[in-house]
Amino acid sequence: MFFDLSWIIDWGLLSVISLYGIGIFLPSVFFRNAHVQNLVAHGAAMAASVAGIVLGVAGLLAPTAATFSVSSNLPLLTFQIRVDPLSSFFVLIISLSGLAASQFAVGYVREFENRHSMAALGGLYNAFLLSMILVVLADNGIFFLIVWEIMSLVSYFLVVTEHEKAETRYAGFFYLIMTHVGTAFIIVAYLVFYQQAGSFSFETFRHPPAPIPEGFRTLIFATALIGFGTKAGIVPLHVWLPYAHPAAPSHVSALMSGVMIKTAIYGLVRVYFDFLGGVFPWWWGFIILTIGAVSALLGVMYALMEHDLKSLLAYHSVENIGIILMGIGSGMIFQSYGLPHLAALGLLAGLYHTINHAMFKGLLFLGAGSLLHATHTRNMEEYGGLIRKMPWTAVFFLIGAVSISALPPSNGFVSEWLTFQSLFLSFQIPDLLLKIILPIGAAMLALTGVLAMACFAKAFGISFLAMPRSAHAREAQEVPWTMRIGMGVMALFCIVLGLAPMGVVPVIDRVTASLTGISIAEKLVSEGGFALAPAPDKGFASISTPVLALLLILLVPAALLMAAVIGGRLRKRFYKTWGCGINLKPRMEYTATGFTQPIKQVFDMIYRPTVKLETEMLEESRYFAKRMRFQTHIEPVFQEYLYDPVVKVLQKLADRVRVIQSGSLHVYLAYIFVTLLVLLLWVR
Amino acid sequence: MAIHTDMGSQLVNLCSALLLLTCFAIIAQRRLSACVDLFALQSVFLAVTAALVAFLTGAYHIYIAAGLTVVIKAIVLPRILKAVIERLNVKRELELNINIPSSLLVCGALVILAFYITQPIISLGFLLTQDSLAIALAIVLIGFFIMIARKKAVTQVIGFLVIENGLFLGATAAAYGMPLIVELGVFFDILVAGLIIGVYTHRLQDTFDSVDTSKLTGLKE
Repeated sequence: MFFDLSWIIDWGLLSVISLYGIGIFLPSVFFRNAHVQNLVAHGAAMAASVAGIVLGVAGLLAPTAATFSVSSNLPLLTFQIRVDPLSSFFVLIISLSGLAASQFAVGYVREFENRHSMAALGGLYNAFLLSMILVVLADNGIFFLIVWEIMSLVSYFLVVTEHEKAETRYAGFFYLIMTHVGTAFIIVAYLVFYQQAGSFSFETFRHPPAPIPEGFRTLIFATALIGFGTKAGIVPLHVWLPYAHPAAPSHVSALMSGVMIKTAIYGLVRVYFDFLGGVFPWWWGFIILTIGAVSALLGVMYALMEHDLKSLLAYHSVENIGIILMGIGSGMIFQSYGLPHLAALGLLAGLYHTINHAMFKGLLFLGAGSLLHATHTRNMEEYGGLIRKMPWTAVFFLIGAVSISALPPSNGFVSEWLTFQSLFLSFQIPDLLLKIILPIGAAMLALTGVLAMACFAKAFGISFLAMPRSAHAREAQEVPWTMRIGMGVMALFCIVLGLAPMGVVPVIDRVTASLTGISIAEKLVSEGGFALAPAPDKGFASISTPVLALLLILLVPAALLMAAVIGGRLRKRFYKTWGCGINLKPRMEYTATGFTQPIKQVFDMIYRPTVKLETEMLEESRYFAKRMRFQTHIEPVFQEYLYDPVVKVLQKLADRVRVIQSGSLHVYLAYIFVTLLVLLLWVR
Repeated sequence: MAIHTDMGSQLVNLCSALLLLTCFAIIAQRRLSACVDLFALQSVFLAVTAALVAFLTGAYHIYIAAGLTVVIKAIVLPRILKAVIERLNVKRELELNINIPSSLLVCGALVILAFYITQPIISLGFLLTQDSLAIALAIVLIGFFIMIARKKAVTQVIGFLVIENGLFLGATAAAYGMPLIVELGVFFDILVAGLIIGVYTHRLQDTFDSVDTSKLTGLKE
């Protein structure tokens, strides 16, 4: 080693915290000009992200974990920080996304400059990034909960940036409630640890003085799953995502959807594999796997029916969290059956998909932000033909769409392929039931992948191809270069993660090795470092994305050659598309609703669609329609059958309690007075 | 610091009793400016008690507290309150939540209650005087009761200040005073509270054309 890693970690940590600190406070203190505030805030965030990348890489390379500790005067609270491979990996994810999103933000928030306080927006943005970094670095339960809560609150304030809109306020309120319900469950999990271990330090969580009894371990499993699951957006706790993520400014949506929900994945892995030492019964992993499969499938199905581009992306986050959990869940099953190599593979697949999703979902949200910036609408039915107006955005969006659809040789393909392998290798489990069920999970994953592809065929096709469907789309212009660079950086990360898995796998392997104790990188990367092969000795498949990419590139000239040889002479004619003699209009185009109609029909059991068709006839003749009105609506099953009843019961209870809230000052004083007297008599 | 003279302890008791008496007078009084005067009088009694305690115990910093009591509670705050009364032209407390005879009865009961509650503490026997702790608690309770029973914001301010006087009496007469820094902090708080409540009263007048705090019920959804 040429330079001292621990020195880099020390200074990396210090500069990350201080640069974000500068980004939080400097804009509001020194500058009056909104544009300068914008530049200072996002410049500081970018610098801090670069420092974060250095810190993450150094933490991953360091042979031992680095710990820092500052005591406080408050009971039970110590500001403990630990830089180990798992936290470094997440610091890396946060910082990579943060770098691109901050670059994008410089251009994106320009239109906010006159409407909103740039100091507040920029400061909160920095605080959001810093709180996420501290969440993954915290090494003390109370400290963790504090920064977790700060992360939730700051993101709430970012969600309600455009608070003049009623729907944004509703989204923020919904998010605030859900995130606090989740936090309550996490607190319960940590309190159980505290009660068993006698301290809030994570070190004692890992090594409690006496082994934690089975019942309490199960309680921790369940509360951590609900608590972190709410933040991650697993079905059925996902309902807030499609409201909150679209409401935030797009660069914040990119971070919320790409990174913030990953802190929940971090929490789950930390609790199950680190604190509980990776020792658990098989049904824990099975539950995680099932939840993952259901989330993946339902997430993508609801995404298909969504025509608000940002809501669509939010539903895809539910899907991808499901895929990540499928990897982690299969890893947990293998772990409990004493198959550490496979456990490491499942976990690695999950973590690989975590970083991939952060990149392509971030990219897609930035792309959606660009579309919003250019057209001022999120409704896909008003886009169309944007590939000619915004070629850069189109290319970047396409890269993201290919990645999320897991088409080879993209990064999404690599991690989903690893997840598939992990599920197929279940035949090594000695339990017959699981041998049957895990391939079913693989089938659900396959269905998910297909539907995701359909969804992005829709999203890209409807938005970018054909003719503009509205005045918004006709007047759209390409976004400024500051935003294009942001998207380009994300796209670059996606491509690198896709084409160089043999470089990425050993890095993630350091994380899984620190958790499972077994390194599988050497086994996994084969063929001289150009291919991945999970189980070569079992005669299983192997892939090499660079070779695939090369093949695809070679296929293009090959196809052209074939066309030239077989297809005869190449003739070019320029003429309008034939429209049966009528002039083509945007209204004749395939709509997003129409595109997804077949899928809606096939899965009507899940969607429960209601269709309303009203036809208004001409007065002169009942055979000619004057106007037709078509309404279609899918039933929000979870809200109607799970959330609404709970809300109703709560409201009834609240109405009862409300009686004591008379609103009269004197009555309130009397309450205090009577309480005082009763207490005085009590202590006598 | 022990008290040698029975005389001194008697005097402190007497002053405390006078403080309690002014409380009853405030309860019985409908005219607001008279209430303010009575409060000023009560504060003077409080200052005398504090000075007596300072003399008897030799804790000289209590003299400073006594002086501040005179300046702030007997002069400054009554002036502020009178200015508010003058400006808003609210002279009398017309509607009461609880009428005057019942109020007096309730206050009598509160005094008994206060003696009953403090009995175990007094019987421990390390207090400067026997009864001032009970009286102090009684004053606090009566101050609280004033806030509940009267509707005008000005009377409520007086109730609040009476509570504070009761606490101060408890601190000086029963526990030889608080550290000076705490007392200074308390005086500052009182002054700020007086100002805030003055502003609040103005706002109330502006919004509801009245300083009747029961109108605040209208703010409820």
